[in-house]
Amino acid sequence: MFKRTAATFAAVVVISAVLSAAAFAQQQDNSAAHSPIDLGKTTFAQKCSHCHGPNMVNSGTVTPDLRRFPDDQPRFVTTVKQGKNGRMPPWGDILSDDEIIALWAYVSSRRAQ
Amino acid sequence: MKRIALAAGLAIFASHGASAQTADQLVKGATDTANVLNYGMGYNLQRFSPLTQINKENAKNLVPVWNYSFADDRSEESQPLIYQGVLYVTTHNATMAVDAKTGKQIWKSKVDYPAETPRVVCCGIINRGAALFDGKLFRTTLDANVIALDAKTGKELWRQKAADIKEGYSMTVAPLVADGVVLTGISGAEFGTRGFIDGWDPATGKHLWRTHTIPSPDEPGGDTWKGDTWKLGGGSTWITGSYDPEQNTVFWGIGNPGPFNAAVRPGDNLYTCSVLALDPKTGKTKWHFQFSPNNPFDYDAVAEMVLADMNVEGKPTKVLMNANRNGFFYVLDRTNGKLLAANPYVKVNWASSIDLKTGKPVETDVTRDAREGKKVVVYPSILGGKNWEPMSFNPQTGLAYANTLVFGGHYKTEPATYKAGEWYLGMDLTDLWEWPEGPRGQLKAIDPMTGKTKWEQPSDIPRFSGVLSTAGGVVFSGKLTGEFEAFDAESGKKLWQFQTGSGIEGQPVTWQQDGVQYVAVTSGYGGVYSLFSGDERLANVPAGGSLWVFAVKN
Repeated sequence: MFKRTAATFAAVVVISAVLSAAAFAQQQDNSAAHSPIDLGKTTFAQKCSHCHGPNMVNSGTVTPDLRRFPDDQPRFVTTVKQGKNGRMPPWGDILSDDEIIALWAYVSSRRAQ
Repeated sequence: MKRIALAAGLAIFASHGASAQTADQLVKGATDTANVLNYGMGYNLQRFSPLTQINKENAKNLVPVWNYSFADDRSEESQPLIYQGVLYVTTHNATMAVDAKTGKQIWKSKVDYPAETPRVVCCGIINRGAALFDGKLFRTTLDANVIALDAKTGKELWRQKAADIKEGYSMTVAPLVADGVVLTGISGAEFGTRGFIDGWDPATGKHLWRTHTIPSPDEPGGDTWKGDTWKLGGGSTWITGSYDPEQNTVFWGIGNPGPFNAAVRPGDNLYTCSVLALDPKTGKTKWHFQFSPNNPFDYDAVAEMVLADMNVEGKPTKVLMNANRNGFFYVLDRTNGKLLAANPYVKVNWASSIDLKTGKPVETDVTRDAREGKKVVVYPSILGGKNWEPMSFNPQTGLAYANTLVFGGHYKTEPATYKAGEWYLGMDLTDLWEWPEGPRGQLKAIDPMTGKTKWEQPSDIPRFSGVLSTAGGVVFSGKLTGEFEAFDAESGKKLWQFQTGSGIEGQPVTWQQDGVQYVAVTSGYGGVYSLFSGDERLANVPAGGSLWVFAVKN
């Protein structure tokens, strides 16, 4: 129960952070009108789905089922940026911090209840 | 026990002896029952063995002889080769030589690649096998290198970089040695690449030729692309070609165009979704046949081009067969590329038929709507009526045995934006599948000339294993849920199965050694279906790669 509250709180913080980033971006670029979860969903489809499954649905055997990823944003960000165990490739040179935070918003929104 | 040890010693000694694989042995591979020298169990890729010790009566007595761990938990799609009692097999991160009788490792040679590589690998972290010639083993690496190892020791003899992963290229293909040349293909049509086939000198690794599968504007076929679209046109070549030594012609299937969104690239887009007939010495094209012009649906044509001599309308004919991803089973005259038959072998709604005169599909509204950007339900799905998993052709029954996919897909284009080394599809990837109520896969015995099914064996989770058939009247295949299976080639009746511990995406082979017929297959899943289907029924099928060898218990 506590965990879930914490997760919700974290997601809200992340989302508001991303929203303000997105709002800032929008002043410079009118195309950034999506919500962070939508932005994360699009990035996920393009960069992540060919290993972690369409819409994050997979069996969790060959690659991790991200719906079960712990509520640990620093671990998520580090893993996405640096890769892990020679299996997960590093994405730090391709994905911006904003994109990774949007991915986290999407991952958080899909967390198994 | 002593006898086994002695035999193993002899086998190792033999492999260290003077008799390296010759060009003549490779030509005779399809009938050499003591060895498995070619990808596809013969240059014809028939995956048919004349062996009869294992037959439909005794297949129920098959038992495991040994198991060899790959210490790897990726998809194991490699076809083992066997030469003089030594089995050679690959994974994405190692090449291994194993005593074929005892399962004891002789050597293991690691393959390293940059950590970024999987970013540009669309459909599984895999390798499909090696080629043997003149004492050397040739293979490709995920980061697009071609390497030669000493078959005795596993020591690397030469290495050539074929392409750059930063541009979206990768390699999974098993090389082909034909007419003294090592031929390799490339992967990456989902990442805005331009495909090719390479020829290498087996002795030194010297690059001999490159044939691009997407012509530049000044080359023949260049007018089938508009503007600069050819530069990102795709056309991968990730499955090993067949070879007709008599005509000295290699037949290599060419992949999908890029991006999937066909509106980006008006024109027929040669030579995507085609087969090329090539001279292996020079790479020059003798003829081509395009199955699916300007294709939106990822109906690549890389899958095996099987060669056989068949009676067509009473005339002995040298044919090439292909169970195309587009859902039609094609038979061509391989001497000239003329189309002889093209009939659906699964449900098809993107085209109503194939015009036998022009070879072109008669497209339906589904395809027109898809090109106009409307969301459609298309059969087959983007995974095709059959994906890469190779079929077997049994010349005794005249039937092709193929693991087919019997589900449709949802298709809707999106704008495609090119960035080097990133996904370049132009397709909505969030809603891909139209699943049927029942089985999603059928192992089918198909009549090549009519496409009709003689028998079928359903599977709820579709099979993605290669198929092997034998003169003993047995068909071998495997399931993603781990069962390795034997069927009666005439009736389709299941004769036997064995749980291998992980899903099977391998390519079974058979050979006879010291009077015993063995069957080998890799177990270990993680290929395109498990990654893209979202099929959570696989949650209780563990990953984990190994090689199993079976024989009949007397």
